Amino acid sequence: MRELQELSSKLLSEGDVSVVIGYEEGPRGVRPAFIRTPEETNRLVFDHRAVQNLAVYLSPRRAHLRKRGRPAVVIKGCDARAVAGLLRESQISRDDVVLIGVRCGGVYRDPESNGPLSEENVADRCTGCDLREPGHVDHLVGELPSEPPATDRRKSRIAGIEAMSPEERFDFWSSELERCIRCHACREVCPMCVCERCVCEKTDPSWVESSPHLRGALAWQITHALHLAGRCSDCGECERACPAGIPLSLIKGKVNQVVEDRFDYRAGDDPDVPSPLGDFRLEDDQEFIK
Amino acid sequence: MARIGVFVCHCGENIGRTVDCEAVANACGELPGVVHAVDYKYMCSDPGQNLIKEAIAEKNLTGVVVAACSPHMHEKTFRKATEGAGLNPYLCEMTNIREQCSWIHEDRDAATAKAIDLTRFISEKIKRNSPLAPISISLERRALVIGGGISGLQAALDMADGGREVVLVEKQPSIGGHMSRLSETFPTLDCSQCILTPRMVEVHQHPRIKLLTYSEIESVDGYIGNFSVKIRKKARGVDETRCNGCGECQSVCPMKKIPSEFDAGLGNRTAIYVPFPQAVPNIPVIDRENCLRIKGMQKKKAKAACGRCAEACGRDAIDFEQEDTFVTEKVGAIVVATGYQLYSIGKEQTRKGITGYGEYGYGTVPDVIDGMQFERIASASGPSGGEIVRPSDGKVPKRVVFLQCIGSREPSKGIEYCSKLCCMYVAKHTMLYRHKVHDGEAIVFYMDIRAGGKGYDEFVRRAIEEDGAKYIRGRVSSIQREGEKVRLTGFDTLSGEQMEIDADMVVLATAMQAQPGIESLAQKLSVSYDGHGFINEAHPKLRPVDTNTAGVFVAGACQAPRDIPDSVAMASATASKVLGMFSKERLEREPTVAGVDKVTCSGCFHCERACPYGAVERYEVLNRSGEVEKVIAEVNEGVCQGCGSCQVACPSKSIELEGFTDAQIFAAINAL
Amino acid sequence: MNEATAARPSSEGEAFEPRIVAFVCNWCTYTGADLAGTSRIQMAPNVRIVRLPCTGRIDPLFVVKAFERGADGVIVSGCHPGDCHYTAGNYHARRRFAVFRETLSFLGIDLDRLTFSWVSASEGRKWSEIVNETTARVRELGPFTSYRDLVDEG
Repeated sequence: MRELQELSSKLLSEGDVSVVIGYEEGPRGVRPAFIRTPEETNRLVFDHRAVQNLAVYLSPRRAHLRKRGRPAVVIKGCDARAVAGLLRESQISRDDVVLIGVRCGGVYRDPESNGPLSEENVADRCTGCDLREPGHVDHLVGELPSEPPATDRRKSRIAGIEAMSPEERFDFWSSELERCIRCHACREVCPMCVCERCVCEKTDPSWVESSPHLRGALAWQITHALHLAGRCSDCGECERACPAGIPLSLIKGKVNQVVEDRFDYRAGDDPDVPSPLGDFRLEDDQEFIK
Repeated sequence: MARIGVFVCHCGENIGRTVDCEAVANACGELPGVVHAVDYKYMCSDPGQNLIKEAIAEKNLTGVVVAACSPHMHEKTFRKATEGAGLNPYLCEMTNIREQCSWIHEDRDAATAKAIDLTRFISEKIKRNSPLAPISISLERRALVIGGGISGLQAALDMADGGREVVLVEKQPSIGGHMSRLSETFPTLDCSQCILTPRMVEVHQHPRIKLLTYSEIESVDGYIGNFSVKIRKKARGVDETRCNGCGECQSVCPMKKIPSEFDAGLGNRTAIYVPFPQAVPNIPVIDRENCLRIKGMQKKKAKAACGRCAEACGRDAIDFEQEDTFVTEKVGAIVVATGYQLYSIGKEQTRKGITGYGEYGYGTVPDVIDGMQFERIASASGPSGGEIVRPSDGKVPKRVVFLQCIGSREPSKGIEYCSKLCCMYVAKHTMLYRHKVHDGEAIVFYMDIRAGGKGYDEFVRRAIEEDGAKYIRGRVSSIQREGEKVRLTGFDTLSGEQMEIDADMVVLATAMQAQPGIESLAQKLSVSYDGHGFINEAHPKLRPVDTNTAGVFVAGACQAPRDIPDSVAMASATASKVLGMFSKERLEREPTVAGVDKVTCSGCFHCERACPYGAVERYEVLNRSGEVEKVIAEVNEGVCQGCGSCQVACPSKSIELEGFTDAQIFAAINAL
Repeated sequence: MNEATAARPSSEGEAFEPRIVAFVCNWCTYTGADLAGTSRIQMAPNVRIVRLPCTGRIDPLFVVKAFERGADGVIVSGCHPGDCHYTAGNYHARRRFAVFRETLSFLGIDLDRLTFSWVSASEGRKWSEIVNETTARVRELGPFTSYRDLVDEG
């Protein structure tokens, strides 16, 4: 923690960056903090509550943040995937940002949790995490903590849905998506949603109907999942942000699994490794094609 | 407001028999936006087309839907008619109610219902059609030919004779390529030099051909009609404008024992040299690896090590200090004719995944040579003056064994394809040998004899029946030195016998491979190549000399193993393609290309990855003070072929393919 | 849905006839379908073809929209690998649709309602089989009520 604060203070005082985006104590766990002066850096914290993916603030959609000058951003290994995605897709250039990687021992599902990490409170994505020490960063802080406890919660939920008949699955998702109010919090919080104008807002033609009914909600979730195929950083923020409590990370998790199974690819922290969608191999499996 | 006209064709009885055309017209007449709907016996006939033209004029139509046969059949016809009536041709679309309706269904009601559905889709789509004008792009009516072998020479000559300027780039000091090294050519046994040299001279003297030898392609920018090619002219060490080709420099050069590349290592050359007497241009080049003076300069020796050539030169043409220079040529089309290299029999390989034949002792057992070496031995201009002698001791070999398929058709060595011409040149070799060594014995080991081609099978038969070549179907497993002989151990697969033959010389018919470094050239040109490095043609049957990059064509053995007639035919084909393209002042392209919405594009460049043609470019949006605000995608209309893959890749739907825009397809689906 | 021309069973008693939309590429499958016509190969009248330049232009959203508009089944078809007129559109499409169909399946869309095929310009017979098989399969599944119910609610 001290290391992070001192580094941030140094970066700010030497004028390397004009803002450090990190975590601070908030009313519910920790919240994103925008630190502008060396004096404020003592507000910075990092622990299991740091669930948020701060890479979202690097997106060029947030031009108002960019105008405030060069940022340093605190990222976990999983967040590094999103940063790599933004770099890969020319959304940011490497020189425009200072990356402070933190070694991570896992985070809670819910930033309001407390106590040691357990199978019950650990975030799904932490199981089997191979990026506890983010690569391709400018600074790396903290000691490498022990591995987070494993949970197969999401895996078994996905398996449970897969075991249903198509009709049951359809009913399941209908009942979930029925609650969608199309607030698009899932999109706003998604670090990989970089479109200047979302396809949902395109009116001619309007592929994804925008009023809050099941038809549009389904079309939107299909669209979001497909747009994220091979790009999703698996931060789970879409689900955490959803006011209706729709288990969106099950869809994303499923698609990530498909991408991994078919193309042997998981979005990583290396911006030079391209996503398999947009690419192809002559010998790609085509068992589903007659 | 849309004012659509629907024209339903009976196609005699072809449609009318199963589709109630009148009912279709009536139903379509009720569709929103449709102001005119008629049916007629033959829409494609003159009176039929006149119906369309008249309706456009009278009803002031904004769109025409012709429900008839396949658009592949008559879309052009009806678009032309539409244009004739003053309406943009792209405001005419067809509904296929013949091939995809009346001809495949018997139930009249179902077929009629389907015809109405299909027409409804299109009448909804056409409301969103925009008038399009052919894209006109400027055209530099000069061509670049890469490679000065027989393919490149032929292509250059055909285009230059056709009235266009050609830049011919050859990386070697002389044009002529592999063909200049051959002794005689199959199936006519005419002397290779005799037919090639006049062409080389013709190229050299052609007023419209600019010849750049000892030069390589550095970079290629631009697109069809507008390529800008940067060419590196390697330092020759000899001022081309001064040299008169007298040869004095060569005769005084002290480095006389350098193996000659032209003679496949069987003869020698000097450090300053003309590769072969008939070289074009007849200007020597200094081999920088072997020139004493240049080596001395590189080691920064104070005293000049040598300089005899410079002293001998009466024209003051020698320039040891010369450096590589660059020229940039603007051309509208490019012909790639970089040819092949021979498969390397030994360990050293230029391509990954290919292994040699250690068991054949090439390079260690004397008198085991490859086909090109045999060509040089048999050539009148070769190191032995055309006398067939073996390299080790200069004796006339009395028994020569030829092995076919060295590398070719051998997946375990990394080459599964057939090199196509080895069967022919081995037959030729046996004949050349037998014609010169009357008491010699020519034995051929073969897997299959593939002699498809005019006069080819007859040629192989002649080798066997008239010239007495002995063909054994089988493989040789090892080649070893046995005293002065070369001992081959093999297997005759027809008789099932193990064989042991003592030969005086062994000739290995090696495979043809892509040139080393072809990938890097292909990448500069953004043309694709296969796993072996051969350039891919745009379509294996219908576009065999086009590449997937518009304006870049391919000729000869860089596309696949090719013999001389095939290469020349391909070269002439590319020339005809280029001349056709150059027959107009400007290029006209179909306007069905993609375009980017500059406002909503976020510059993620998914489109760039999806584009098979590299048509997506980066465009900098500047703010008022001239700084780069963002970088977005832009489609080069000259390069785009209109597949629409970019549009699906775009997450924000900010790129649209004209003719198949999202609005058009959406409208059609919505009409379901 | 256009009531006047629907091939679907208007209501009581009539057998269910599925509505199927086919998104096909212009160069291979569309031409193959034309060949089926010139060869007079009879097939089920349930399929409505929408012609696109390339499978690379076939957006997964087309399929979603077709279901939204009441299609009971969808066919997506293009050139065999190696045959693409645009050299690589079908390869891109293959990856996209591989992910798309599994996503749809996870969300409860029965994959039996979707057919992906490579039909070349010379495979008129194969095209008719694709049409007939898909029609039979979707007829078996019945109307896509679950999706259509969403539409009604909308």
